[in-house]
Parts: sequence; C-alpha cells; structure tokens
Amino acid sequence: MKDNFKFLAELMKLRLSHIMTFRLGFFGPFFIDTSYFLVQLFAFEAIYGHVDKICGWGHGEILVFVGTFSLINALNMIIYFFGVISIPEKIQTGELDLYLTKPVNPLLRITFEKINPGSIPLLAFSACIIAYGVKETDMGFSWSNIIKYLFLVFMMTILYYDMELLIRCFAFFVFSVNNLTKIEETAIDLCLKIPGIAFYGIYKFIFYCILPYGIIATLPTQAFIGALSVKGLFFGAAIVCIFTFFALSFWSYGVHRYESASS
Amino acid sequence: MKKYLEIARAYMKAQLIWRADVFVDVILSVARILFAWILWSILFEGKEQIAGLKFHTMISYYIISSYLFQMEKSAEISQQMTGMLRNGTFSKYMVIPVQTQGYFVAMEVGKLAFSSGIGFLATVLWFCLFRISIVHTVNLKILLCGIIMVVLGLLFMALLNYFLGILTLKFEEISTFLMIKDNLSAVVTGAVIPLALLPEWMIAGMRFLPFYYVTYLPSMLFIGKCEDEAVTGLLVLSIWCIFFIVLNQVTYEHYRMKYDGAGI
Repeated sequence: MKDNFKFLAELMKLRLSHIMTFRLGFFGPFFIDTSYFLVQLFAFEAIYGHVDKICGWGHGEILVFVGTFSLINALNMIIYFFGVISIPEKIQTGELDLYLTKPVNPLLRITFEKINPGSIPLLAFSACIIAYGVKETDMGFSWSNIIKYLFLVFMMTILYYDMELLIRCFAFFVFSVNNLTKIEETAIDLCLKIPGIAFYGIYKFIFYCILPYGIIATLPTQAFIGALSVKGLFFGAAIVCIFTFFALSFWSYGVHRYESASS
Repeated sequence: MKKYLEIARAYMKAQLIWRADVFVDVILSVARILFAWILWSILFEGKEQIAGLKFHTMISYYIISSYLFQMEKSAEISQQMTGMLRNGTFSKYMVIPVQTQGYFVAMEVGKLAFSSGIGFLATVLWFCLFRISIVHTVNLKILLCGIIMVVLGLLFMALLNYFLGILTLKFEEISTFLMIKDNLSAVVTGAVIPLALLPEWMIAGMRFLPFYYVTYLPSMLFIGKCEDEAVTGLLVLSIWCIFFIVLNQVTYEHYRMKYDGAGI
C-alpha cells in the first residue's frame, strides 16, 4: 500500500512536468469540458424554462443536480478519465504489454498516469452552479446532509470510474468499442438532463441498476436536500460495491485472456 | 466531374466493406430516439404543448433530426486531414489531378450515399416500431426545399470541417478546436434540443448563422413547421457555402506552401 502511494506520487510528478512542456494541452481539456457543460446548462435552461417542476423538484434542486453531475464529471476528468479512455488503444496496439510487464499494478498505473489538473477550474465552476441552486431553493441545509452529500459524491465518482472501465474493457474481446462509448455518451446526456427520480418502471430499473448513470447525481442531490432515505443511501453504496466488483473482475478476466497484439 | 464521381463511387464501395459498422451505427440511433422519448414523455406529463410543439411533433422532430445528425459525419474530414498532414501522407492528395476540397467533398458524398439510404429505412422502421403517428408536411414544395436544405447543410459541414483540417498547416494542435466545435455545433444545429425552446431573440440571431439550417430547420420543415423560412433558409445557406468554398480555396493556396511532407 505504501509502495503504491509512493508510486502514485512519482507518477503525478512525472505527469505535471510533462504537462508543463505542452501548455495548450494543459488548458485544452478545461476549454473542452467547459464548452460541454455550458452547452448542457444552456440546454437545461431551455428545457426547464418551459417546465416548472419535475417530480417535485423545482429550478433550484435541478440546478444542484446539474452542478453535482458537473462536479463528479470534473473529478473524473482530473483524476482518471484520460487514463481509462486510453485502454482500448493500448489493447489494440499491444502497448498494454509494457504495463503488464512492469512490477506495479497495471490498472493502478493506467488509471492515474494521466491526471489532468487543467480541469480543476471546473470544480469551481460546478460549485458556483450548486451555490446558485442552493440560493434558488431557499432551504436550510444541515451538516449531516452535507457530509452525506460529500460521501455520495465520492462513491459516485467511483461508480463513474467503474462504468468507464467496464465499457473500455470490452476492447479485450471486440475490435472496436466506439459504438459502446456512443451508448455511454447518450445515456450520460440523458441522465444529465433528467433527474433519476423522474424515471419509472423499466427505465428506472435500467438507469438505476444496469446503466446506473441515473443515480450518479440524483442520490447526492437527494442527500443534499434531505430527501434521501437510509434505504437509498445503502442502495447507492451497494450499487457502487457491485459495479466495482464487476469492473475489477472484468478487467482481470480481460487481462487473463489478453493476447498481445504486438507479439 | 467524372473524376469526383469516381472518387465518390470508390468511397461508397469502401462503405460496403464495412457495412456491419453502418448497420450497428443505424441501430444505435434508436438509443437517441428512445432516450428522447423518455425525456419528453416525462417533461410532457400534464402538458399539452411545450414551445408550441405537441408530444408526437416533438418525437417526430427527434427522429428526423437524429437521422440528419447521424448522416452528418464530416467531422472525419478534419480528423483525417490532421492525421495525414502531421504524418506526411497528405502528399498523395497534392499530386493527384483533382482539387483537394473537391476530393474530400466527393469522399463524403460516397460515404453518405450508402449510409443515408440505410438510415432512411431505419427511420421509417423506428416510426413503425414505436407506433408514432408521424407528423409531416403535405406541401411538396416545402418537402423539396427541406431536401435541398439537407444537401446544402451537409455540404456546408463538409466545407467547414475541411477548413478546420487545413488549419493543421498553421497550428500544431487542432484537436481542442475540433472538440469544442463538436460540443457547440451539437447545440446550435438543434441536435440536442429543438431551437424553438430558446428565446425568440436568440433564434433571430441564429438565423444569420449556417448551423440553424443544417439540422433544425430541415427537421422543422419536414414536420410542417417554420414553412415561411424555407426560401430564406436556402438563400442564407447557399451564401455560407459559397463563402466557405472561396475561403477554403484561398486558405489552402496560402498555407499549402508550409507543408513539408514530414516523414517522406
């Protein structure tokens, strides 16, 4: 464990010195993600300008929801996004060999080798959206709700990672995962526009249990506004545990079946 | 012209080789339609209309705009050009006796010829499967205007992406520009939400830009809305296309001297 932390610290040092060499690359992801979230916010304002309430959530709650999604996505962009998305290419080109033959956990290295501090301003941007939503809701918030919220944001960041990893691990078995990533993008787009509480029937099952993007921002928002039951909290934790188990198992199975493309 | 037709034919044949990809792509478009169905069925609860559109009109809009959005694949032009300019393989386009702009437009035409036919059949299939009472125009002139606008819109996007591709001759890294362009064009073309949901002053501003006529206006024309904008739309889009044809030609002639065929 101690060795892993030392290794991570070294990785980050290397990454930062690499980023400083290519400065446009440092801010590139920030501009891309900002434009993406401005577009989503714009779409959100356009849609909710015509709808007053959705399942009891008003404009303020929905803003907290969008801000939370943005916050989790910002954490994703900073910590692991650029590492995880490179998995299919590494598998196809055989570059994964270099990771498997090193005396460190290959997934640990891939996950954290491309941290991206360029997206840090997005955290502030998301916090502003949440603060504006809080102002709009005009509600009092307790410390216990805020702690629950932060805990769930942490858990959902792991869930986001699990989903990204699961989808990219298909590259061990198929030629291209482009179509799967398209489904991922479309599902995220939908779940960013509509809170999970609005889903019903089969849709609720799909977006809570199969493609659980529906809970990523919904559960923390519910915790924040004090609408999350203990059952809901346990459900969220259980889903994260299950998907983490699946993602890690799928990765291990993929590595086991991996036949280097370069050999 | 014959040379360009030959290029288009070659790329259409190439699409036939990868027909499984085209089919999967078309089938995946159902995800977009299905998600639009979920979103709007929730938002329409207890409402008859949103921004002047009824539920079935909204879904018809999404199915048609999804089809148009799926057809528009010209982003590949700029990505392909960037890759080739940087690794030196772009030289092959410089030595063949065709204009590079024409070559890439013909390439897009060839790719579209196959996927648009399949996509059209799939769109009809989705209407039947979802049992959506299709809302469409009955005016043949408007229908024709819509089809011409789709063609011009696709041409415009191909020209725009060609222009962005040429910028690789000037800038080392354009992938950031391309991603920002993708994010913005998704919303300004009306692929994310119908632009009718935006405030009137914003729509008025967008009418001067070409993106308004790429997906949004043709889709609205096909569902029998905004019919009075059809002729103006064709005129504005034609002007933008001509402008980009000239701009591309001038930019290419200006910057091609900088190309040193790295890797040759």
